[in-house]
Amino acid sequence: MRRFGIIVIWLFMSVCVLLLVTLPVNLQTQLIAGATVLFMMMVLKTLKAGGIWRLIALAFGTAIVMRYVYWRTTSTLPPINQLENFIPGFLLYLAELYSVMMLALSLFVVAMPLPHRTSRPATRGHLPSVDVFIPTYNEDIELLANTMAAAKAMDYPADKLTVWILDDGGTLQKRNAEKIVEAHIADKRNRDLTALCQALDVNYLTREKNVHAKAGNLNNGLEQSTGDLIAVFDADHAPTRDFLLETVGYFDEDEKLFLVQTPHFFLNPDPLERNLRTFEQMPSENEMFYGIIQRGLDKWNAAFFCGSAAVLRREALNVTGGFSGISITEDCETAIALHSRGWNSIYLDKPLIAGLQPATFASFIGQRSRWAQGMMQILRFRFPLFNGGLTLPQRLCYLSSTLFWLFPFPRAIFLIAPLFYLFFGLEIFTASGGEFLAYTLIYMIVNLMMQNYLYGAFRWPWISELYEYVQTVHLLPAVISVVLNPRKPTFKVTAKDERIDRSRLSELATPFFVIFLVLLVGVGVTVYRIYTEPYKADVTLVVGGWNLLNLIFAGCALGVVSERGDKRPSRRVKVSRRCEFRIDKTWIQGTIDDASVNGIRVQLLGDLSGQLSVDMISDVRFKVSASGMMGDLPVQVRNVRKQAGETSVGCMFMPDEPSDHSLIADLVFANSAQWSKFQLDRRGNPGLIKGTIWFFGVSMFQTYRGLAYLFRRLTGRDKTEWERS
Amino acid sequence: MKRLLTACLLTALSALPLHAQTAPFDMSPEKPAGTAKPSPEQQAPSPANQTTAPAVAQPSPARGPSIRYIIPQDSLSFSGENGEKTWAVFITEEQAASPVSLSLTYQNSLVVAPEWSSLTLAINNARVITEPVQSSEGQKTLTVDIPQGILKAGLNTFRMATSLRHRTDCTVQSTYELWTEVIPSKTYLSFADDGARRLSKIDDIRAVGVDASGNTTFNIVVPAVDRMAATAPMLHLAGALAVLANMPNQLVNISAGLPNEQSPGALTVLLGTDDELQDISGSFTPITPGAALAAFVDDPATGGSVLRLHGPDWQTVTNAVASVVDPLKRDVSVPRSFLATQTWRSPDVPLMLGASRMKFNELGVETRNFNGRRLRTEFAIGVPSDFYANEYGKATILLDAAYSEDVLPGSQINIYVNDNIAATLPITTAGGEILRHFPIHFTMRHFRPGANMITLEAVLNTKSDAACEPGAGASTVTRFALFDTSEFVMPTFARIGTLPNLAGLSGTSYPYGRSDKPLPVVLNNEGEKSLSAAATLLARMSVAAGRPLEVDPRATANSAVNSNALFVGAIPQIQSTVLTQTGINENTRTVWSDVRGVQPAAEAADTRTEFDQWRERLAGRGWRGQISSFDDWLNRTFNISLASFTFHAGGEEPYTPEQAATLLVAQKPNPAGNGVWTLATSATDEHLLLGIRAITQQDRWSKLGGHISIYKAATDEMQKVAVGEFTFMPTQPLTFSNLRLIIANWLSGNILSFSLLLIVVSALLGIATSRLLSNLGRRI
Repeated sequence: MRRFGIIVIWLFMSVCVLLLVTLPVNLQTQLIAGATVLFMMMVLKTLKAGGIWRLIALAFGTAIVMRYVYWRTTSTLPPINQLENFIPGFLLYLAELYSVMMLALSLFVVAMPLPHRTSRPATRGHLPSVDVFIPTYNEDIELLANTMAAAKAMDYPADKLTVWILDDGGTLQKRNAEKIVEAHIADKRNRDLTALCQALDVNYLTREKNVHAKAGNLNNGLEQSTGDLIAVFDADHAPTRDFLLETVGYFDEDEKLFLVQTPHFFLNPDPLERNLRTFEQMPSENEMFYGIIQRGLDKWNAAFFCGSAAVLRREALNVTGGFSGISITEDCETAIALHSRGWNSIYLDKPLIAGLQPATFASFIGQRSRWAQGMMQILRFRFPLFNGGLTLPQRLCYLSSTLFWLFPFPRAIFLIAPLFYLFFGLEIFTASGGEFLAYTLIYMIVNLMMQNYLYGAFRWPWISELYEYVQTVHLLPAVISVVLNPRKPTFKVTAKDERIDRSRLSELATPFFVIFLVLLVGVGVTVYRIYTEPYKADVTLVVGGWNLLNLIFAGCALGVVSERGDKRPSRRVKVSRRCEFRIDKTWIQGTIDDASVNGIRVQLLGDLSGQLSVDMISDVRFKVSASGMMGDLPVQVRNVRKQAGETSVGCMFMPDEPSDHSLIADLVFANSAQWSKFQLDRRGNPGLIKGTIWFFGVSMFQTYRGLAYLFRRLTGRDKTEWERS
Repeated sequence: MKRLLTACLLTALSALPLHAQTAPFDMSPEKPAGTAKPSPEQQAPSPANQTTAPAVAQPSPARGPSIRYIIPQDSLSFSGENGEKTWAVFITEEQAASPVSLSLTYQNSLVVAPEWSSLTLAINNARVITEPVQSSEGQKTLTVDIPQGILKAGLNTFRMATSLRHRTDCTVQSTYELWTEVIPSKTYLSFADDGARRLSKIDDIRAVGVDASGNTTFNIVVPAVDRMAATAPMLHLAGALAVLANMPNQLVNISAGLPNEQSPGALTVLLGTDDELQDISGSFTPITPGAALAAFVDDPATGGSVLRLHGPDWQTVTNAVASVVDPLKRDVSVPRSFLATQTWRSPDVPLMLGASRMKFNELGVETRNFNGRRLRTEFAIGVPSDFYANEYGKATILLDAAYSEDVLPGSQINIYVNDNIAATLPITTAGGEILRHFPIHFTMRHFRPGANMITLEAVLNTKSDAACEPGAGASTVTRFALFDTSEFVMPTFARIGTLPNLAGLSGTSYPYGRSDKPLPVVLNNEGEKSLSAAATLLARMSVAAGRPLEVDPRATANSAVNSNALFVGAIPQIQSTVLTQTGINENTRTVWSDVRGVQPAAEAADTRTEFDQWRERLAGRGWRGQISSFDDWLNRTFNISLASFTFHAGGEEPYTPEQAATLLVAQKPNPAGNGVWTLATSATDEHLLLGIRAITQQDRWSKLGGHISIYKAATDEMQKVAVGEFTFMPTQPLTFSNLRLIIANWLSGNILSFSLLLIVVSALLGIATSRLLSNLGRRI
């Protein structure tokens, strides 16, 4: 009854706001009201007012956005009898409406995200049995070894934990391929993995045919196993020791729980972060999703399966016949299927795995294409809004998650819309300079402020736009193709362990340079028009400003597609762990300072540079947190640095036995606290103004860098020298 | 010209001796008066027609032809490259049957090139004058015979148009130097038949026409002017005459005796009992028992006719008045679809009561092909008195037009509303373009109740004008075409009455026009001057209302505390309660008492206006120039001034007019708050009559507005005091959509209130959302 009353009051207030914002008041009133509301939002933001004030600020923003939409709809569309203006004008209008709709949906999703769940360790008494699935297709065996070792090292009773390698690269179909080289590779992979699995006490499972891609592979695993719960890790997603203890406890509390999802934490930067050098200072792209959107979804019981780093209930999966495989994003599809049957999910906001993400721009685009196409397939085949099994909030949540991937359309329209005016003189947005100020500018600032309010610590200003822009160029054709042929796309495994040893332009770079050039010409046309057509300088200035903003994105994107050479393929993490380092026969006390999957840096007491030499083979001994025993890990010295009273030794791992991988995994992956700390260090809201200045600075530098890369590629001059740099 | 007007007004009654001199000879043979057929019986069957049918009065040879001035205003000037005026003149059957000639006198500016400029006059679409404009040295009179059959009994459409081109200059600026002035006092129709002077039917009152300065005068002769019983009928009759004649500038004179002279554009009306009229109607057809109570009788002295309303007693006289008034009555609940303006502006102005659209050809705008620089064309749109969309409203013109490749970008199309700029559409495409129903939205800020002039002006810059080769003015290549398929679109607008609202009084006699009760009129001094003033005002109000207003003369304000009322009188006669109630300071009596020659110590200006003025003066100085040019732009674009930033108009100080004010009109709700009091007052009865005659003239009447309007005769200025506090008076059902628009208009005028409301409602929504979200979905 109380809830009903609250809903009625809310509806009443909504209607009041709606009535107020759709009043056709004059321009002066709009300007003053807009400025006043903007000012109030700024005050609230400066005061960092949270809680109820956050929602009041968002309501202010909503009112301004709604006024903009009302005005945009009633006053700015070109007359329908001017088709040359109306058609592009209407497309632009639709693009803006889409953006507003997405803003509304994301407001719904993240208006009040669930706070961090308190840790709920599983009771050791009656733990459910868990099957760990590590599906693999073509990943490196070294990589798999670390993941398997880390999975095996998870803190969980051994009799209740079974780790499965689900190998789709060594299936009978592959081994008997017509092409002899492929068959040979598959056969070797099958044999090597079998041996590795035996050594690590992991079950190796492959199947006859590669049907239904990842979903089929997982379902094969389901058939062969019996555990109560299924934990799924991608081949490169190594879990921390406490992964299962942190997650399985929730299944006790709720019988209808089918999923506990945890965030994906990445050890390496994505191409944008690498090429813009923002990995260490700016929150990663996916942190917005895992840091706030999944928490928002979780409030509405709509957190969905992301393919890895999750625990699922077998009983639930049996209801739907395992993992769904109509789309190429089987994870989200499976979650919809189970949600619509009344099962629940939760999201645990704590990084418990560390993985890799695509390193090159091309594979990044490949991964995003799969997501976009898969979500389009879900939109097409399981349209969430009309899915009767879902609750209304769940429908809206899934709608938000799937419709998001239509962004290439509006992005492309925003990109070219100003050019219609600059190049062809079409007036696709009929408004005066004053109206732009009173409506559009205030709306844009409010929109940015709302985004900053919602995602400030997780996403800096303009970064979303940049990500969307760099994806749009190649995602637009992908999305169009899936819209035309919804059944055509097939699952392609994203390569994540590529190395970029030379600085070069991405193979997908060309369109970005073409777009940049066209926009640059647009800026020239702007200047020309302002001087030659002073009678419409106000509109030219507004449109030219918009084009300039696009140029800033396009310039920044030039830096994104100019791949920096990276000497260090994987990131090091701070470790601080006591160890002993062997020099010939003596063990010297030291500290492991940092570690990566490839090597470690050890600090040794005293000046030992005389006794150490590069390429020297040695061992590092440390206490393994899983077993409490000491373990020896073979290493090769790569460099020696003298420091005050200390010697710093960089070493590369030389694993020669499978068990060595357990040691590496223990060093690098065991501790979940380090991942949380790493993320928190990057979080921080620079604010709208500082963030914007910073972004524009980055963009200018990246434009220069992109053009420099292009120049060198075109001239082909001092190639080797450049590569070295 | 306007300065002269005041002087003209003072002599309005006396016939101008010029007539005789300027009346040209008439070549048409004089027809025997007898051929003028007696009009068929239109009145109730009565022997009334006998009074007119026999052509008793033989035309005396001394009398010249009967002339009718045709221009219904005191001056008529066509400026710019094109100009036109269309209006209608009512012609009696006798006049239509008579041979007739037309004289037209004009003068033009020196720079007009005669070879490319023309002046045309068409009557009922038949062109009677086409004249190269060539009289810059002095006035030139053209006289033409109008062929039989062109003028018809009833309304005849006159259309005068000019097309002027500069001798040497091709700039847009130069078009402002072009003008042609038509002299109203020397522009008239001359009817050869003597019978053309006579009026025979009541409807012929419409043919009274105008005098040399565009005025129409009704001389109501009431021998018993002092009788209380006479007041209501005479005021009522004045209204009826005004509505019937419906001329733009009508004056009513009430006197006990006959006017000295009967001149064109004037009608003498005799009102009284048979006994009372006995003394003065010696020369007229004697009153016979059973004669029509209201009918024209011949005036042997002038050859014209006078209207006589009589009866054995005042009760019957009142009935006689009713017989004139009743056919003009209109039920209050029946809205007009047109405002009758034909006699000064044709066609009649459509009254738009809600969303509607009209094509230009219905509004009197024709398709034009234009080869000059500045094309102006105008039409009128009427809105009701409860129009409440000034602050937010936007009307639209869907323009069908084309411009040639000669037209340069940077040209523009401007829309003016009542001479205020309302929108500018820059032409931005080079190479010519056809605009098909191109929407131009423009603000309705300057709309006011009644007729509104909407002017469309195309300012064309062209390559050929930039070169300006000799003879460029002769170019006949069309640069711009405006098509009569263009449309005016009126959106649905907020409708609610507000009080006080003198603009409403001017537009449609609001709120009195909407009341079906007789309007209480308080005249404390029933002298001829104040009666004439009141009658003139009521006549004007009746025209605005579109029906004769019934009046209910009262003696004191006390009797009208509960109702509408109109107070007319010199200030000594006005009761203090009326002054207080209408917001006039009591010390006005002192200000207006005779202290001429003493300048007021200082003019107390409104602080806020003063502040804005100072800001304006200091704008653009020094380093602040850049900022203030942005500020200017803000001001220009958003029209924001300090006055916009108040939550509530504070209590108003009682108003004291300047000593120079001739007339003051003020309006406020009555003490009971259930009616409206309007006060028209002056220092003296003379001022009152002068002032009311001035403000009831068409062009000044339409400037009446605000809460108080004053007229200064010395400078011929109208000033108004804007409405501060006001009350709403619902005139329409408060439907959701109407209410929404009313609120939109109110909030548009109260900017801070809107901001505050938006913030409060949004904040409440935020709080409600917070509560909602805490109660829905998962919680931890």
